[in-house]
Parts: sequence; C-alpha cells; structure tokens
Amino acid sequence: MAATQTLPRPVRWARSPFYFNSSAQLIRIGRQRATTLGEFADMLQSCPDDAIFQHTFQTLRDHHYLREGFTNDFGHWVFSACNEVGLAEQLAAVDVREFTSIKALRGALTKTVQDYLVKNPRSRERAAFEPFYFCASDTVVIPTPFVARNMAEFADGLRQISLHSIHYHFIDARLRLKLNSNDFSLWLEEELDLGALGDRVNHIDIYTSTLEDVRQRILKILQPVL
Amino acid sequence: MAEKEKPSALSTPEKPRPNQNKAREDAPLLREDEVPVKAPKPAELCPAEADRERRGTGPAVPPPRERRKYKMSETPPAPAPPPRLKDYEPILGRADIDELRFLARQLRGKTVKMVNSTAVGGGVAEILNRLIPLMNELEVATKWEVITGGNDFFEVTKGFHNALHGGEYHVSKEVLDIFMMYNEQNRQRMEFVEDLFVIHDPQPAGLIRSKRDRGRWIWRCHIDLSNPHPEVWNFLKPMIEQYDAAVFSSPSFTRQLPIPQYLFYPCIDPLSEKNKEIDEAYVQKVCDDFGVDRSRPILTQISRYDRLKDPVGVIEAYKLAKKYVDCQLVLAGGGASDDPEGAVVLAEVMEAAGDDQDIIILNLPPWSALEINALQRASTIVIQKSLREGFGLTVTEALWKGKPVIAGAVGGIPSQVIHKLTGILVHSVEGCAYQIRYLLTHPEFAQYLGKNGHEHVKENFLLTTNVKRWLVLFEIMLGMTRTLKVT
Repeated sequence: MAATQTLPRPVRWARSPFYFNSSAQLIRIGRQRATTLGEFADMLQSCPDDAIFQHTFQTLRDHHYLREGFTNDFGHWVFSACNEVGLAEQLAAVDVREFTSIKALRGALTKTVQDYLVKNPRSRERAAFEPFYFCASDTVVIPTPFVARNMAEFADGLRQISLHSIHYHFIDARLRLKLNSNDFSLWLEEELDLGALGDRVNHIDIYTSTLEDVRQRILKILQPVL
Repeated sequence: MAEKEKPSALSTPEKPRPNQNKAREDAPLLREDEVPVKAPKPAELCPAEADRERRGTGPAVPPPRERRKYKMSETPPAPAPPPRLKDYEPILGRADIDELRFLARQLRGKTVKMVNSTAVGGGVAEILNRLIPLMNELEVATKWEVITGGNDFFEVTKGFHNALHGGEYHVSKEVLDIFMMYNEQNRQRMEFVEDLFVIHDPQPAGLIRSKRDRGRWIWRCHIDLSNPHPEVWNFLKPMIEQYDAAVFSSPSFTRQLPIPQYLFYPCIDPLSEKNKEIDEAYVQKVCDDFGVDRSRPILTQISRYDRLKDPVGVIEAYKLAKKYVDCQLVLAGGGASDDPEGAVVLAEVMEAAGDDQDIIILNLPPWSALEINALQRASTIVIQKSLREGFGLTVTEALWKGKPVIAGAVGGIPSQVIHKLTGILVHSVEGCAYQIRYLLTHPEFAQYLGKNGHEHVKENFLLTTNVKRWLVLFEIMLGMTRTLKVT
C-alpha cells in the first residue's frame, strides 16, 4: 500500500502585512491624591484621561503575570486601603474590553463609585489606610523588526515579540481602533479573511490569563491553519 | 584576640545537627588559614550578654561547643567588571533588549551628564556604576561627575538629608552659605555642554544655576520628601522648580511642584553579587559555616540593626509561630560595628533571642553581598517586618529570588508586595506570626507568591527597566518623540 502523501498547504498571503510594534511607558505622578472614598469619587471625574488609562489599561501590563485577584488599580485600592470589599468587587468587574473610549470607561467607573456612596454614605469620609495617587502614563511606540505577510510569519513574530508588544496590540489597541477588537483579530479578518479565527482570538480572557498565556493561546488557535 | 581573628559573625550557640556534622566531615569547606573556633568568649559577646555571663544570671547558656568560624574578607573585594547588555538577554529575552537598542538609537549623538555627591558607597553610586556603562554601550554618551566639598559641606548635606526625611535641623545662614558656596565652586569647575543633565539628590541641586537655553535638566530625588523639614525644603524648592522635570521613587515621596514629576522605582541588578545566580554548593557552604540547618524551615530577615526594622518584633513573631511549626530564624545585617546605635540594637536582639539555639544572629560587613545572596536563596520565607521603610530593596532582592515574603505595609513595600498576590503584608507581630505558620503549612501558596513576586520584579524593578525609563524620559525631554494620546 502506497504511503499517504501530505501535500504542502498553499501559503495564504495577506493583502497588507502586519507590522509588530511594541511600546514603552513612563509613569507621570499626578497632583491629585485621594485620602477618602469621597475624594476618590470626585477625582475620578476630574482626573486626566491618561490617568484613567494608566490605572486600567496600563496596569494590566505592569501586572501581566497575574491570572487572578488584580484587574485595575482602583479596585485594588478600594479593597486594600479602604476595606470596602463590595465596591472593590464591582470596580474589579469593570472590563476594559467593553470600552472603546476613556470617556465611557470613566463614566462606568464613576457611576459605580457614586452609586455605592449613595447606598453607603458613611463610607464617604472614612480615611483610607493610604492615599490613592493618581498617575498617568506617557507611552512611546517602538517598532520591532518583525513583519508578517502570511500566517507562518505571523506565528513566528508572535513567538518572538516581547510581552509589551502583545499588550500593545491586544489590549491598548481597543482605544486606538475604537473597536471592541484588537490588532491581531482585525488583521486576521481584514487581511486574511479569517474572521472566525479573529473572533476566537478576541475572546481570550485577559483577566484570567497572563500575557504569556495570551501568546500561547493565540498560537494554539492559529495552529490548524499554519 | 587580634582584630583580624575576631569572628565576623555572632551567633547563639547551636546544638549539633546531623547534616552539619556530615557536611563538616565530607567537604573541605575552609581555606587553609581558617580553623574551627569556640563559641564567642564573653569579651566578644554583645554587652548585655557578656554582663549576664559575668553575673551568672539569666538563661543558662549551653557550654561552648566547637563550631566553624566563617571567615569573611576584611576588605571589600575588587568590583567585578560591569555586565554587558547581552548578559541580560537570558534573563529578559532578546525582544526586550532589542527594544532598548531601538530607543537608544534615537538618542545617538546626544550627550548626558549625571552628577551626584559620591563615587563609592551608597545606593546612588551603586546604581550609577551599573547604569552608566549600559548607557554608553547603547551609544548614549553618558558622563558621570561627582561634586567635591569639604567636611563642612558634607556635614551640612548630611543634616539636609536627615531633615528632608523629617528630622530636626537648625537652619542658619551659615549652613545655607556653605551649601551654596560649594555648589558654586563645583559649578565653576564643571563644564555644562551636554544635552541632558541628571542631578541626583539635593547635594548638587544648586548646579541648576548653570542652566542655559541649551540642555534639559532633570532632578532625580532618591529620598522620601513626604514630610520634609519646612525650612530646608523652602530653601531647596526654588532651585528644584527651575529643573525641567523631577524623578521620584514613589508617588508618596513627592511634593507639589510646578514641573512634571515621573516615577522611577528603585531597582536591583539581577547580575550583581547580591542577586546573581549562585551555585547550590556555595549556598550550602554559607549555611554550614553560619550554622543554618537546611533540612528545616529557615526564616530570614536581612537588615541593618535598626529599631525601625523591628528585629525584636521578628524574634517575637518567630517565637509565637514556633509553638506550632518547627523553624529557625536568621537575622543578618550590619551597622553594629560602625554605628553606636546599631550596637545597642544588636544587644537588644541578642537579649530577645535568649538561649534559643535556632536563632542565628549575624553581624556582617558591608561587603557580604554573596553571603546575603546565599542566605536569601536558602530561606524558606523572607521577612521584612519594618516599622518604617524607604523603598525596601531587600524585599525586591528576596522577591527576585522567588521567595515568599512577609513584610510590613510601610514605605515602598506595598508597591512590591501586593497582599496575597506577590507576598504578604502585615501590621503586627501577631499577624506576622500567623502568616509564618500559614506559609510554612501551605507551601504551594508560598510557591505561588514567590513565582508572582519574581515576575513582579522582572517587570518593574530591574536595572534594565530603569534604563528604558531613562531613554524614554530623555526622548520626551528633548521633544524627540510623540507620546501616544489616548481618549
């Protein structure tokens, strides 16, 4: 019986290449510091956009190795410095993937805190164990040498880029694109007509995965078409 | 006993342990000039203990037994050559190093001058010794200059340093004149032709008077300004306000200033003597020589003998925990030889330890980096139960080594120890004791904390991260890059 011969899969070329970038960030210390939940609620409304960005999107990068227990700086402070466990849970549940603008994200965070303080007015003036320091981030984009024109090159680039690059394309991208998606999924869909794969990539849970997990899961999703 | 023959490590007498005896028989661990010695004689003990021996009171001291003397070098070893960028690749990965190279490429041709007040000793000099070679390897020409001054100047700056930390200080016209006179002398002596100037700490802050249209000036403040002496701060503030930016080690260390303020966490070098990977055989040798039994849990606090590090509180926590779990406690630090207060605290620690043979108290010279590295790696849990703290780099070192850390929630420690995620924060002796028991009986959770702690340091507190921060800051200062705008 003749051995089955596996024919090489034809290479599917992207209409436009994927350029892998990365980013570096610098934390700028702001002037606002909240010592009570009441002050925190006020400052949440008045702090700069890049402070909201730093304490939600960017902090996921600083804590990319955690799979549980940490989703944003606001929830963490309310839990550890104010001991308001209920509010901490609600803030921790605010999912940045559902927002494509800082304005909308700020609105959701502010409403969560305000609603809580209406129900728990005595929590407003209670002194926190330590202040919340509003910071912001200055982010600089860094090109990398990796460019993908097909799936094999894409997977190869994905294996080699830094975790900061994954954060830039997979998490930060939402605010740039103004879409509930990310750079990887969009490229798969628009340049390779692989919308279903892009969808699966977009559904990877960033809150229960480390960024290294994200890399490995994307590679696993891509495996059948490599 | 001649000075050079004194044991550099004090410890409570220990009971012989099978594994140590085995090591002593099996391995030729001592150099030829080292000989086993008896336990410390009364004259070598701390005053309280010597007094107790003379009076024949207090807890019964077991008869002296033969123990190995750990021979420390009496002078600091010559510094190792600084690592090259490629040496960090196995730790960080190629992509991260390439990102540094890309950022630096933009700055090629630009020149930087960093100025501080000492070339050796102290944390700032230690950081600059590592940072400057990496910057130059990245072809960002960086020069390091040190200001000079007489004893009167350094007395004033020491007073300023303590006052900025909240201490008392008498500010007279004379001390302000001394400060400005030496700053002016240095300003006249130095050239200021670079593109960027980074001035470290308050001592050389007055050099800002050389600021001209060309060049951007950054003030790097390594100290906690949260509660400064008002007169000293009011004197320095007009100078600081002339800088283009300031850099602090923690948001809580800052003051309100009209210039941008950036956050650079203090960092450790993963390739330094204190943090590099070391042979298991060396770890074993250090433990054997110090009398630490590796077959049983080891709790360690590395700190100078200072009440703010609460070494007596650590002993109390250990004693509470030991009612339920077997463990040893190693307290290792310095400062007892050259600091009268340190010697008093060491005596208090010896007193608190009593005759517990499982408490090992070590007074190490400042050049004990490798020994400290070994002790940290041998530890089951690292404790830093400070009552007040700057940033707490000993915590960073322990986290880097993947150790579960129990630490006081003070100073910069909560930036490093995220409670129950990268370590455990405690607020009392009792809390510390409970957490010791919990971690010793839940090793899988201890391991989880250690793993997270290592990653937390890798992301935020390594020298290479600070190299990246400097490169980004330089680009921003020179207007060479556009930062991403989010809306």
